[in-house]
Order: sequence, then C-alpha cells, then structure tokens
Amino acid sequence: MKQILFLGLFFISFTANSHNPEKLVISEIERGQLNFENETIAAEYSAALKRQRIRRLSAMSWSKKIYIFIKAGFEHIIPQGLDHILFVLGLFFSTLKLRSLILQVTAFTFAHSITLALAALGFVKLQLSVVEPLIFLSIVWVAFENTFFKKTTKWRPLVVFTFGLLHGLGFATLLTQYGLPKDNFISLLLAFNVGVEFGQFAVLLVAFILIRLIYLKTEYKNQLKIPASILIGCTGLFWFIESLI
Amino acid sequence: MKKLILISGLILMVSCQEKSKLDPNINPFFQDWTTPYEVPPFMDIKNEDYMPAFKKGMEENLAEIETIIKNTDDPTFANTIEELERTGKLLSKVQRVFSNLASSNTNPKLQELQRELSPMLSAHYDKIVLNEDLFNRVEEIWNNRESANLSKEQQKLLKDTRKQFVRSGALLNDSQKKQITEINSKISELSTEFGQNLLAETNGFELILNKSDLDGLSDAVISAASEAASQKMDQAESEDEKEKYKDKYVFTPHRTSMYPFLTESTRRDLREKLYNSYVMRGDNANETDNNDIAAQMAKLRAERANIMGYKTHADFILEENMLKTPDEVYDLLIQLWKPALKRAKAEVADMQAVADSEGKDFKIAAWDWWHYSEKVRKDKYDLDEAAIRPYLSLDNVIQGVFNTTNKLWGLNFKEIFDIDSYHPDARIWEVTDKDGSHLAIFIGDYFTRSNKRGGAWMSSFKGQSNLDGRERPIVVNVCNFPAPVGDNPSLLSFENAVTLFHEFGHAMHGILTDVTYGSMAGTSGPRDFIELPSQLLEHWVSEPEVLKSFATHYETGETIPDELIEKLLKAGKFNQGFINTEYLAASLLDMDWHTLSLQDAKNISNNFENNSMNKIGLIDEIAPRYRSTYFAHIFSGGYSSGYYSYVHAAVLDSDAFEAFKEAGDVFDPELSASLRKNIYEKGSTEEAMDLYVNFRGRKPIIEPLLKVRGLDGSSD
Ligand SMILES: [Zn+2]
Repeated sequence: MKQILFLGLFFISFTANSHNPEKLVISEIERGQLNFENETIAAEYSAALKRQRIRRLSAMSWSKKIYIFIKAGFEHIIPQGLDHILFVLGLFFSTLKLRSLILQVTAFTFAHSITLALAALGFVKLQLSVVEPLIFLSIVWVAFENTFFKKTTKWRPLVVFTFGLLHGLGFATLLTQYGLPKDNFISLLLAFNVGVEFGQFAVLLVAFILIRLIYLKTEYKNQLKIPASILIGCTGLFWFIESLI
Repeated sequence: MKKLILISGLILMVSCQEKSKLDPNINPFFQDWTTPYEVPPFMDIKNEDYMPAFKKGMEENLAEIETIIKNTDDPTFANTIEELERTGKLLSKVQRVFSNLASSNTNPKLQELQRELSPMLSAHYDKIVLNEDLFNRVEEIWNNRESANLSKEQQKLLKDTRKQFVRSGALLNDSQKKQITEINSKISELSTEFGQNLLAETNGFELILNKSDLDGLSDAVISAASEAASQKMDQAESEDEKEKYKDKYVFTPHRTSMYPFLTESTRRDLREKLYNSYVMRGDNANETDNNDIAAQMAKLRAERANIMGYKTHADFILEENMLKTPDEVYDLLIQLWKPALKRAKAEVADMQAVADSEGKDFKIAAWDWWHYSEKVRKDKYDLDEAAIRPYLSLDNVIQGVFNTTNKLWGLNFKEIFDIDSYHPDARIWEVTDKDGSHLAIFIGDYFTRSNKRGGAWMSSFKGQSNLDGRERPIVVNVCNFPAPVGDNPSLLSFENAVTLFHEFGHAMHGILTDVTYGSMAGTSGPRDFIELPSQLLEHWVSEPEVLKSFATHYETGETIPDELIEKLLKAGKFNQGFINTEYLAASLLDMDWHTLSLQDAKNISNNFENNSMNKIGLIDEIAPRYRSTYFAHIFSGGYSSGYYSYVHAAVLDSDAFEAFKEAGDVFDPELSASLRKNIYEKGSTEEAMDLYVNFRGRKPIIEPLLKVRGLDGSSD
C-alpha cells in the first residue's frame, strides 16, 4: 500500500519520484505549459520512426537486410511504381527490335543507377515535388515519340538516359526518406537497385509474354503501339497536371 | 501521394509486429497482458480507457481494504500487512502507465485527465490512510510485534506501514484531525499561489534593448534576443505595444535568457539591472509578492508539526530521512560551508585581479560574477564543449553505461524490436543477469520532443516483488537530449552524458532490486538516500579508463585524447566555490525556515532571510541559489527541509566511490558485489544508514566530496 501511496504522491506532484527535481522544477517554470502543435509532433514522430527503422535494420543479419532492400526495390516497381511501369512499357512499345529495346533499357538502368547513388550519397539533392512532375512528363514524352515518330531516332537512347537520371532521383528521394543504415550503406544501396532492376525486368517479361500469348507473333506488337502509347501518354499527362495542382 | 504508399509499404515490411492478443472491445486495463514481459500494450490503450480503469481500480482497491477489515480472525502480519501489499493491483497498473505517459508522451486529453484525477486520487488515498478500522488492525499487530516472530524485512514493512497512518494523523483526536485537514488545505492553496506569483514575476520583467546596447554579445545571443522581441511583437495586441518591440532585443529573468547576457555583456549597468530583476522576483511589494505567503506557510507547517507531536516542521520531515534530525543536517551543511565559502572568496579574488588588470575601477559585485568567471574559465580551465561532443554520440554513451554495469555486475542488454513502445524513440532493452536470467525490461527515451515534459527522470511501468512468485520490473529513463539533425547521430555534451549515467543509476536501483514486498522495492527509500545510486554511477563516466572505452569519434573512430580528458576533468572544478556556496546558502535558508518553533514562526521578521544569511557570513557577491520569494522547491514543490538532500547524497556517493579508488580498481569485483548486495538490491528494506554502513564499513565522511569538488584547497 505504501507503494500506492507513494505512487499517488508521485502522481500529484511529479517531483516526488527520483530524478533531478532541481532541473525539473526550473525547466517547468521556464517552459511553462506544454503547447501541442500537431504538425511538430507529427514531424518528430516520423523522424523517430525513421530512426527506429534504421536501428531495427542495423540489428538484422546482413543477408536479411539485403533481402529486404532487394524486395523494397522490386516493390517500388511492382506494385507501387505505376509511373515507372508505364515508362518501361513506353520503352517496350517503342520498338520491334530487341536490340534497340535492350539498348534503351540499359541506358535507362545505367542512368537511374547513377543518380540514385549520387543522391543517396548526398551529392545531389532535389525536392520530390520537382522530380515527380518531371518523371510524369518523361512518360508523356516517350509516349509522344512512340505515337508521332515513325522510327525511333538515334537520339532516343540519349533521351532515355536523361529521363533515367530523373527516375533515379525519384527512387533516391524515397530511399533517403526511408533511411539507409550507415554501416552497410553501399551494399544496401546496390541491393535496392538490384530490386528495381528485377522489377523492371519483370514488367518487360510479363509484357513480352502477354503479347506473345495474345498474338503469338511479335510483329503484331506494332498494331498495339499507338493505342497503348496514347493511353500511357494520357495517363502521364493526367498525373502531371494532378501533381501541379 | 502515391509515394507515401511506398514508404508505408516499407515500414510494414520491416516492422511487421506481433499483433497483441487483446480483445479490442474490452478496456485493455481490464485484460491480462500477454505481451512479452507484460510490457503495457501501448498501441491498444486509448485516451478514453484511463478514466474507467481508474474508477474501477479505486473501487476494487476499497473493496479489498474492506475485505481485510472484515476478516474476523485476529489481525496478523499475514492477513493484514501482507494482504495490504496485494491490494490496488488494477489501480497501480493504470496509474503507472498514465503517470508515465502524461509526462513523457502527453496530449491535451491526458493533461486534462491529470487535472481531473489529481483530487480524486488524493481523496481515494485519504480514505485508506484515514480508515480507523484498518489502522486499529495495524496498531494491534504493531503492539504485538515482539511475539510475532517477524523477519527483519517484515519488521521494517510493519514499521513503515504504521508510520504512514501515524504521519497522516491516525493517533490524533477528531478535533486535531480536523485542524490538520484545514492546515493541509491552506498550505496547498498557498503553495499554488506561490507558484503562480513566481511565474507572473518571472514573466513580468523584460529588458528591452536597442542595437547600441548589445556590447560584447555574441551573434547567437543577439539573434535569440531579437527573436524574443519579434515573438513579443506577434503577441502584442495594440500598435503601440508592437512599436515597443520593433527592432529591439529582449532579455528576461528566465535563466536561459539571463545567463548568456550576464556572461557576455560588457555593459555593467545592464547586467546589474537584469540580475536585480531576477533576485527580486516575488519581493517587489506588489500584488504578486511572496514574502507573506512564505511566512504564512512556515507558520502553518510549524503548527502542523506541533499537533503531530514534533517540535518543528523539519523534525517532522526528517524523521523519514537518512539524516534524522535538524542537528545532523546543520552539522553536515556547516562542515561543508566553511571550505565552500573559502573557495568562493578565492574565486572573487581571481576575478578582481582580472578586473584590475583591465584597468576597471570597481569592486566585483554579484552581477559581475558570470562575466568575470567566464574570463577566468577561459584563462585557467579552457575547454571547448564543441570539441567533446563528437566523441559522445548517444549510442556511444549508452554503450558506455551498459559496459560499466556489465563490468560491475555482469549485466547484459539486448535491444528488442518485436515489442511496441509508446513512441518510436522510446527504445526497449531486455536486461539479463550474469547467469543469463531475466532481470528487467529497460526503456530508454532520450530525445526531447514537444509532447514531453522538460528535465530527466526515472520511473517504472511495473514494480518488483517476490511476494507471489518472482516479478521483475519494467524501468524507464526519460531525458531531454537534443534530437539528431537529419541522418547525423545525436551528439551529447559531457553534462548530458553525466545525466544519462545519473538516470541510469536510478534505473539500476530499480532493476537490481530484489525484495519480497513491492512497496519497499527499488527507489522507495528516503529522499536524501535515493540520489546515492544515481549520483554514484556518475563517477564512472569521469573515469579516464571508462571514457576511453566508449568515447570514440563518430566520424573518425579515434578514441578521445588524454589531453581532452584532462581538460574535461579539470573543468569540473571550475567555479565550485560559487556553486557550492549558493547551494549551501539555500539549503541553510530552507532549514532555517523550517526549524522555527511555532512561537518564532508567529513573529517572523521582515529581515528573516538577511539575518539567516548574515549569521553564516554569506558574501555580497553571491545570493542563495534560491531566495525565499522564489524558492519554489520548498514553498511550492515537495522539498521543504529537503533541499540539502542533493549534497547529502553527494557526500555519500563521493565517499562510496572512494572505496573503489582505495581498492585501486574502479571495477573491484568484491566491492561491486557488496555494492549490489547492500545498496542496489535492498530498496528500503533496512534503514538507509545501516545499508550504507553495511557497504562501507563505517559512516560516511565529507573529505572525498571536498576533494572531488576541489574544495580541499587543491584549486587555490
Ligand atoms: Zn536523481
């Protein structure tokens, strides 16, 4: 019962428990009433969440961490990255030639890996609010090219490369918000990137298989090129406008 | 928007927590907690759950008391005292969660509940402690204690339980009881008023300066003052008032605003003005003057002590403490006073020498202290705070304190991620003993945030008891260290690191405790003793051997250099004359107020404080740490006749640590084991002085403290 009485006392005047009331009494007088600003509290909470995630990751085995980051990269494409899926499909419908497709996808991959790494390492910094509309515009442009240009230009890989730089920044803003543990920084960054490539590859594979199933012959892909591209372009345009509002 | 999905997706992946098995339709306090180690299911507890749980908890508690009273068997230790230990489980369950969260992770609803609950709970505990039938049973056991064959621990529990009743007035007649109740309510009103006046007085003065008045101030201080002025402008209601703050700089008697100004400003006239506004708070002969309130409270306290059968209020309070009488306290304070004052006078001489060398033609005054002591500090004790922080990342310091207790007692700590805490910054560790057995859960909540009270403290979510099986505690440390910026680690000051060790010392007291009866567990001991386990642990953080084991640079990994450690330890002796003198003066003032006989308390002179300070020879250059009119600890907090506790605990911890020094090993295995067995495990199962003597082999002496604080003549 003494304990309850003690607790009661502790409750009524908080200074009754063991801490340094010297500082407490003063800071109470200095700070006055706590004021609750929901925005501040929410910001503090999400910063704390990020710290917690990093601690949790740090406590995991290396292979578990790698697995998680590959999975995170993959999921960033499927199912969460509809914008990236559309972009990759835009590339898919642009050409009949496997070689050209591989060239474009490689340029894209190469580019977004560069910016992802640079941004994650803190060398480049861009707001998501700037990067995101530009990513949507890149979808629109690829679709536009597919629809109105008879043949893919020789500049196409360069254009795709530039767009890839943008998409990399998109991946990075999210990855840094999420937080990378310092001790395995490079390997986890790579793991995330590998996951992204898997996701991208899976999109292409599924698209390829579907087309084969529907038409059995790859040449028919061309008949789909324009309607599909228009659809992709309109969606991109819609997102772009939405992101500006 | 879409992007947010990704983030939440990742969170889910990593955090996939075990879902609690509670029934969402039933108040979580009414269910058994099946969480690991019975950690409260924080995520299931909603604001609305508290009040019904408190009400039911109080009801159940009273019903349990009723059952004890109704027992027709003769009162025995087992059927009364031990049964009392078992009462109030639900109330304690909800109260522990509530009082912790209302301080460390609060919201407007909890604050409101706190105001609502406070009178309800004090009425509830009054019902128990003023219950005559219950007291009669306790008294009967007490009277037959010789023949009851009780263990030492049981005897102490019986004594403590009875004392609770007696000190609440159980032995008084009805008219005396009524008087006590009246006095208590008057005292509580006065103490609230004292606090409100103090707040008004602290906020009531501001030093509004022009750009031309800022001589000596650093950019940081100037911008804070300018920020304060623009805040005032925002709050101003009229144009005239706005004009008053336009392009101005504001300083106030709040310590955070005043100390930087007193330290840096070269304008002596302005330092004097601001300093005086601080020391005159509550003493301005206006409607928020606290002189009369203090005198009235002293009188009421003396009156209450008389009714209770004590000569003075201090006698009444100290009976519960380790030092039992006012004489013992005075004796300690006066012993320390002389060397402290001597050192303070030497510090004045040092500062005067600096002023003279600058060609200044004045005698150092109280408002010059910060400015000139800073010059002495730079000259003699120069230590760059910023150079130390990189070695003290929070994770390093936590590792340091874990290593220390591992070396002392073989404890191990493992962070647990599959239990939900009340906030993502409140980390959970399992503490295991050297044989691997479970000891406790430790929660460390270190960063400051806007829904947390200021300060640092230790508390618990679950107590320890061996009464009905082995129950191990859940202990929490809450601090207010700066949160990290971005992805950088949180870097602590050395003072922060000391605070962390201090609170962890309390936590150890709560974690190592191993007693039968929960009410005597952990930190339940007297106030002038419970700071021993915490302050004692602080000594290890200052040991070069310990510092080097954890203080590595967060970027380079380099160990803290010896030269820096040396500077750091030397800096600890800076200004100790001042610090101790102002503290001891306030402690003596507190004692003087509360050793008044009722007769003297009825005729308190206006010069009470002056007389009291003249008697001990306090010099003009120093004011007591708190003057009477703003001594909130004793007139509005719970520290009357208790402000001396800190230095008493400091005497104990320095003397106790000296034992390790004498052994030549700060981790001496035999001493560590004895420290654990005699102090940290024992709670309040024995008289505090006995516990101490069991460890040290003798009563404490003050010399080690004088040495630690450089008051032994070594700094002169
Ligand atoms: Zn403490």
